[in-house]
This record gives sequence, C-alpha cells and structure tokens, in this order.
Amino acid sequence: MKRHDLELLSSYLDGQLNPSDISHLETRLKTDPQLASVLNDLRATRTLLRKLPSRKAPRNFTLTRKMVGQNPPLPRAYSLFRFATALATLLFVFSFGLNSFGRQLANPAPGFGMGGDGGDATSQESTELFSAEAPAAAEMPATEAPAEEPPAALVPSPTQMLTETANAARTAETPTSKIDGVSDAFDQSQPQVASEPQQGLSPLVSPTWQLALAIVALLSALLMVLMRQREASRWR
Amino acid sequence: MNLIVKQNPAVIQYSPMNEQALITDAQQGNLDAFNTLVLHYQDSVFNTALRILGDDDLAADAAQDAFISAFKSITSFRGGSFKAWLMRTVTNACYDELRRQKRRPTTPLEPDTDDGEEMDSPRWLADPNMTPDQKAEADEVEHAIQHCLDNLPLEFKTVVVMADIQGMDYAEVATSIRVPLGTIKSRLARARLRLRECLQSFEELLPASYRLGEGMNV
Repeated sequence: MKRHDLELLSSYLDGQLNPSDISHLETRLKTDPQLASVLNDLRATRTLLRKLPSRKAPRNFTLTRKMVGQNPPLPRAYSLFRFATALATLLFVFSFGLNSFGRQLANPAPGFGMGGDGGDATSQESTELFSAEAPAAAEMPATEAPAEEPPAALVPSPTQMLTETANAARTAETPTSKIDGVSDAFDQSQPQVASEPQQGLSPLVSPTWQLALAIVALLSALLMVLMRQREASRWR
Repeated sequence: MNLIVKQNPAVIQYSPMNEQALITDAQQGNLDAFNTLVLHYQDSVFNTALRILGDDDLAADAAQDAFISAFKSITSFRGGSFKAWLMRTVTNACYDELRRQKRRPTTPLEPDTDDGEEMDSPRWLADPNMTPDQKAEADEVEHAIQHCLDNLPLEFKTVVVMADIQGMDYAEVATSIRVPLGTIKSRLARARLRLRECLQSFEELLPASYRLGEGMNV
C-alpha cells in the first residue's frame, strides 16, 4: 500500500477529508478489499488506544507562591518610604561632604589677616592680598599684630577667651559648642593670624539638620522592614 | 507552635464558560485562578507525560515542571486552545526529561514481588473497583500499548498520544507541536501503522475484545 493511501485512510477515520475525497475513497473501499481491511485495522488500533485507561494524577500539581517565586504585594506607602529613605540617606552623606569640602571650595586660599572678607576673594586675589600685607605684618611689632588684624567682634580679648574656653570645655553639650571650644583653645595657644581659617570652618549644614536626616532615614528604613514583614506574614 | 494553615475560602470553580476569565486572571498573576486551571487539566497533562515518558515518577515531575513553566509564560498565551498550549508545555518538559535521561541514564526503581522480581504493574496503580480478571486484562493491554508506544520515534509518539489518547483534533496537535497539518496527518498514519504491527506481536496476550485483524500488510 502506498503511503498516500495510508494517510488518506487515517484522515478518513478522523473525518479530516473533504467531501470529494471521501466519495472517491468510499468508492475505492467498495472495490478494494485490502484497502477496507487496512481501514478496519487502523480503526481497531485507534479504538485500542482510546480504550487505554486514563490515569488519575498521583497528586495535585497546584502551584505555591514559593514555586513560582512570587513576592508578597507591598502597599503603596512602601515605595514612598523607600524614596524617603534613599533621599534622606543621600542628603545625609551629601551634608558631610558639603561640610568637609564646601568651605574649602568657597575659601580656596584663606589669607592671613583677611578674616571673613577672604571668602569673597578669588585665589589670585587672595595671593595678591597675602603678598601685599605680608611686609606690613612683618614691619609691625609682634605684639600689635593680633590686635589689629581680626575684627573686634570675632576675636575676644585674652581674658575673655580664657574664661570662655574653660566654660566651653566643661559645659559643652553640642558638637557646635565643642568645636567652638576647641577653636577658642587653639586661638589661645596660637598667634591670632592662625586662628582666622578655623573660624571659616563652621559647618554649612548644621548638625541638627544632619541628625534630622539620619532619623528620617532610619525611621523610614525601619518602617519598610516592618511593612515587608507584615505583608509577608499576612500573605503566607 | 500553631501550624494551622488558613485556606482561601473563595474556591474558583472551573467551567468552559469561565476558562478565558481564569486565563486572564492568571496572566495578571492570580495564582488561585491558575490553580483552578491546573486542577482541571492535571489528569490530561499527567497522562500525556506518562505515555511519552512511560514512567509515573518522571511523568509527575514533568507535569509539575510543565505547570510551573506554563504559569511563568502564561502571558505569551494569545488565545486559541488553552489545552493545546498546555500540551506544548508538557511535551517540552518531556523532551527535556528525555534529553536528561540520555545524558545521565538511570535504572528505574520498580517494587519487588515476594520472589524478589520486579513488578511490571505495581499494585497501587490498580483501580480498586475492578475485578481481578478485569484488572489483569487492563494491565496486559496497558503494558502492551505502552511497550509499543515506547518503541515509536518521539515525534510519532507525541502525535499519537495527543490525537488518539488525549482525543485532540489535528489543528490542536499542530498548534501544540508547531508543525504543519499535513505533517500531523502523515505522522499519525505512520504511527498507527507501526503500532498496529507492534501490537500484533502481543495478540495472544490481548483479550479477544482487543484483538486486531490480519489484513494490514502495508
């Protein structure tokens, strides 16, 4: 038997032939006993296969969330806290950088005896001013130099300095007061010209703000963890 | 420790009418909806895997893998016959398993009889409602057919399992294994012919009701 005839018989069995092929094949089946016999065998084989008992699944194949790697759905507030944590952390780190380097960038070359005015000058101007004033400082008596150069409001008198330093060292509670105390103590032991850059290093971002940023970052992170745990336990 | 697991009280019932809704929900990540589909199709999927692989444990593993894979890729289902789409997933899982077996051949662990010989038809698979004679007869037929299926080339076996055992139409089979309709017709005809030849060698074992004629000499 040709393969084409076999395919015709198989398709005929499944009702997959068009009407003209069916009538043509049925005419041949009436006159060709071998073709009819093959058709019967194919039908018997198909019947046998269809009688094959269907097995029940040995267990349920339902999926768990773990199997498919699904994570618990998180509330909308979670993304808000995530953003807050990231932003607060970034600002916190940035504030340290700003305090450390920002002042130096603003005052690239703080000159001796310039005080607060040095912040507006460019580095070239500072160098020129330093060069211009250096001889003048050298000509002056050593004892007069501290009294003339700093502004009176910024530099306390030696007696006042001693008192303030002692008080600040004992009673300082905030980092700012500690820095001031150290600065004052430094002023006491150094010539006044060297104390000017120390006053220029006061932090641009106050420690209070830094503390607030740290608290926001920590609280937001804590809330995120709590939200995750709560949703995960509820989801399970 | 309290280990009581809360069950979801809202059990979604399957019906052909709500199949599409269940699929849409599953595509949006609703695992309960997908599990309803799993419960409906798991017997078909398991039987397909069983007839292709010829081993219960491997078939169960392949069925489970197929459902996991189906859930992960259900967004790629674009309509048509969901059963055909599912069958493609299970045949792929079976092909993966057969490839694994080729790389690392293993010896199946069959339960032993009292004489220490392996049992061909484990007792736990028998239907408890059948009489012993019926059970023996069914086991013989099943064994003979499975043996003949195992001797078929894989592409023939897949087509005949889907069309004749699962009762899928040609178009569904063509969709499942992504071959043209003409190829399906050809493979099915040749698979039936080979099965006929193979089953003739089991004719004496088969009960009278299962015996085939003698007229096919192709």
